[in-house]
Amino acid sequence: MPLIDILNPDIIDLEVKGNTKDEVLRYMARDLYDNGYINDVDQFVSDIYVREAEGPTGMGSHISIPHGKSESVQKIGICIGRTLNPVKWETGMTEDGWQDTRLIFLFCVSADAEFATNHMMLLSELAGKLGNDARVARLADATTKQEVIDLILCDESELEGTELKDTEEIVDLDIDF
Amino acid sequence: MKIVAVTACTAGIAHTYIVAEKIQTAAEEAGHWCKVETQGTVGVQNRITPEEAQAADVVIYAHDIAIRDQERFAGKRIVDVPISVALKQPKSLIATIEKKLAQK
Repeated sequence: MPLIDILNPDIIDLEVKGNTKDEVLRYMARDLYDNGYINDVDQFVSDIYVREAEGPTGMGSHISIPHGKSESVQKIGICIGRTLNPVKWETGMTEDGWQDTRLIFLFCVSADAEFATNHMMLLSELAGKLGNDARVARLADATTKQEVIDLILCDESELEGTELKDTEEIVDLDIDF
Repeated sequence: MKIVAVTACTAGIAHTYIVAEKIQTAAEEAGHWCKVETQGTVGVQNRITPEEAQAADVVIYAHDIAIRDQERFAGKRIVDVPISVALKQPKSLIATIEKKLAQK
């Protein structure tokens, strides 16, 4: 299956309303519900918080990747939302543990590990693509759904020359081996 | 140098794969050969063979949960870090390994 099979423009929303993490999560869960991906908004959001409690899902560059496994899930997918307002989100990337999130990749995954494994493979491939800093920087500025889809699908070589705002300062880590 | 790495996060949905990409990129940008195995919800992908494991100069474990099949890496230099460290500072991770290996 090609990666595009997991990307559905109906659950890409570039005008997500809400001023808090909870408000935008519920707004996006509603998108998933309206499109038949989940059958219970409250249950789904509650399961997302189970994962949130295990560690931060803000990954810097104004991006967050909430995810969790829920019995409310009917179809595997990913809801991509850009918020109208920056939203405070827990992260391991900053000193104080908070970031301003504008772009959210809300993974919609079944609690049943055997469910739709083909789609799960695609989700893992998509997650890998979010490990590319240039891709993430460009996604943050995307203005149309098609642009979002194209940026996820495009090859790394097409992202060369992208200006990065948050570059890592190379320091000595306290590791021993 | 030759680097092999294994990533594994709690949910096995997102960080495992994002961090795999970050380590791969940071290692290649620094001029190293690198292979990263992911141990996630969809099982093991890009599996490191025992031969690749033994040929490696260093092994990175970036994880929050136990790494499976560690026997392959017996006797190797293993850098064990939380997945959050590799997510936040992949380049520093590679650079620190380079520096420490040169001192050994």
